[in-house]
Amino acid sequence: MAAKSLEAQVRHQPRVAIIDLHGEINAFAEDVLNKAYAEAESRRAEVILLNFSDVDYINSTGIALIVSLLARARKSKRRLLACGLSDHYVEIFQITRLVDFMSVFPDEKSALAEEGRASITSSPE
Amino acid sequence: MSTSPPPTNEEQPRDAAYWSSSGSSLKVTNIPSGALNLNVDGRQVVGPLQGFGQMWQKIYRIRLKADEGEGVPPLTAKEIIKTWKVNFPQFWPTGNRFYGPLTGIAPGEVALLSLSMPGGIRLSTGVLVLYADEESFTLMTPQGHVFAGWITFSANEVDDYIVVEAQVLMRANDPIYEIGLRFGGHKQENVFWQHTLKSLAAFFQRDAPVEMQVTCIDPRLQWSQSKNIWHNAAMRTVMYTMTAPTRWIRGKKS
Repeated sequence: MAAKSLEAQVRHQPRVAIIDLHGEINAFAEDVLNKAYAEAESRRAEVILLNFSDVDYINSTGIALIVSLLARARKSKRRLLACGLSDHYVEIFQITRLVDFMSVFPDEKSALAEEGRASITSSPE
Repeated sequence: MSTSPPPTNEEQPRDAAYWSSSGSSLKVTNIPSGALNLNVDGRQVVGPLQGFGQMWQKIYRIRLKADEGEGVPPLTAKEIIKTWKVNFPQFWPTGNRFYGPLTGIAPGEVALLSLSMPGGIRLSTGVLVLYADEESFTLMTPQGHVFAGWITFSANEVDDYIVVEAQVLMRANDPIYEIGLRFGGHKQENVFWQHTLKSLAAFFQRDAPVEMQVTCIDPRLQWSQSKNIWHNAAMRTVMYTMTAPTRWIRGKKS
């Protein structure tokens, strides 16, 4: 089976940037991921949501790329969230312990709802 | 164990067979002769986010000609990875032992390691085979290992060459290891993987320089992880060695 290259689109919402990922996350995805992440950061989003609902393959190099993004997010004090992962990849995120540092949601709606609640509870009165 | 993709069906992702499914806690089922199951069984694997020290990405790369001409068999990426998996310890520098699983490098398997440290100290630890397919495999370290992270070994065909890589994504597991890495440990690790790639190339009757790319991804220390020192495998191995006479006497008495 031929590998599908990764494509990424960034959508901006107040405080949140959503990166929609399509295709496969492997060694060849590095440039696309980094460019999308840089675009997401460009409008000073406090939260970056990675939407994996159209990703059908992630290998171990792909996981390493996600770790690099997570390290960048932590360095700049941004929250990195994930949504749309299949059960299989949720398990991989658990084994690799990415979930220790990255909240994982079933879909975009639940991720944004939870993020909305978090921002309300953390904002000063 | 074969790492061919599983039959396609909607329930089973096509890479499911490539990933470890044994959870994040290590279970040693077979102890090869001469190996020591110390600091491995029951330990949690730790990714680069769980460590203490600075986060580094290190890529060691060698470019091998696919076709060297008459008298030297042509190479493919799959052939290199297959050979590397079977003969993994053979390419390591002397003094370091890798006790691979009986079934070879396959997802979910645990290997025991005996590593040579500066000052003549031996370190008993292990690794989990996190991922393995026909063109790459990844080892993940447990609590107590020098670093928290993983190493991915891969081979890709690019033009007339096979690009063979060892890519390390790591953080020192605790403050002692962080000091050790800063004072010679990083250099020792670089020499280790350069030697490994040169040996692998020599196995295939090839030679090329090893390129190295080192990037500090996160320069900060994670002080919340300094408690990892409790699992420090180097200190535990030293204590185990020092108490060997006591265990021997106890064994005689019972």
